[in-house]
Amino acid sequence: MADHKDKHEDEAHEHGPGRYVVIWMALLVFTITTVVTGHMDLGAANLPLAMVIATVKATLVVLFFMHLWDAEGINRLVFGVAIVFVMVLLLGVFGDLLTRMPEALPTGQPAHTLEGGDMPSSHGMPAHRPHGE
Amino acid sequence: MSSSDASAHGGGHGDAHGGNPHLAHHFDSMATQNHASRLGMWLFLGTEVLLFAGLFLGYSVYRHFYHEAFRAASHHLSLTLGTINTVVLITSSFTVAMAYYSVKKGNSKAAAGLLTFTILCAVAFLCIKGVEYNEKFQEGALPGKWFHFHEMQGYPGANMFYTVYFLTTGLHAFHVIVGMAVLIWVLRRTIRGDFDKNYYIPVELGGLYWHLVDLVWIFLFPLLYLI
Repeated sequence: MADHKDKHEDEAHEHGPGRYVVIWMALLVFTITTVVTGHMDLGAANLPLAMVIATVKATLVVLFFMHLWDAEGINRLVFGVAIVFVMVLLLGVFGDLLTRMPEALPTGQPAHTLEGGDMPSSHGMPAHRPHGE
Repeated sequence: MSSSDASAHGGGHGDAHGGNPHLAHHFDSMATQNHASRLGMWLFLGTEVLLFAGLFLGYSVYRHFYHEAFRAASHHLSLTLGTINTVVLITSSFTVAMAYYSVKKGNSKAAAGLLTFTILCAVAFLCIKGVEYNEKFQEGALPGKWFHFHEMQGYPGANMFYTVYFLTTGLHAFHVIVGMAVLIWVLRRTIRGDFDKNYYIPVELGGLYWHLVDLVWIFLFPLLYLI
């Protein structure tokens, strides 16, 4: 029984150093890509593109450098659950922020109209609006 | 039979398993023990992800409020140094993965070399980060009430960018230091000849921690330097 498990584990990790080299190269290429596209003015597409590239890079690291690709399923479950809760955190908070009335934002204005210099406060913390403004 | 089992267990860790000093007596086999170690590490990494997620959330909320200020403040970071540090970390992640591979193939010498290189990468990362921090200190681009960066005075919320910048990269740098300490310990044991194809779990778990450091940076880099 134990022997069988050992064998299985060895087989699961049986691959040459080539796999690591390929992943390393891919990560470098993605880094260059994100720097180059980060310089370009793609408007609203900049942030999603940067995040997609970062997510692909992170996925490569997790699956192949950290061996989640051929790890026991329980490890995948643990890490997956952590990611799910990160999503819950982000979706919950942004579900709140994005659906507020503009006046209910801490900055007192719709966030998308904020420009440099327009703010009543210069110290960056959510400004207290003078009563009755 | 049962009495001999009991005496074997009473005799200490090694005796119960034919003298394998690495196998704790409450585990059936090395495979079971490795599964447990690995699972424990992934649970810990899960909490690390959640720890950093809080800071990423703070970043997202303030960036949402002060979009233009974040963009302007980000342009004051050195993209060149940030990119070099990204390459340094990715390369160190690669070499630590190769060290794990070498240990499993029984090549401790190569593993020691690769681990040494990884630790040097960590030192290089911290030095470059230090140069960047020093630049920010000179400019007054500091967190919270210490913020006095005159070029950014027209941008309310710019101090929040630097607050988030120092908190995230600071916590990350702390992880680099801890990861370095772990790798130095792993390197010492590798040189001492503790690891071979039958016992390599400290190299694997130390490597996993180091990959997490890389993972966090993969997200920090575009969010801080490329907006």
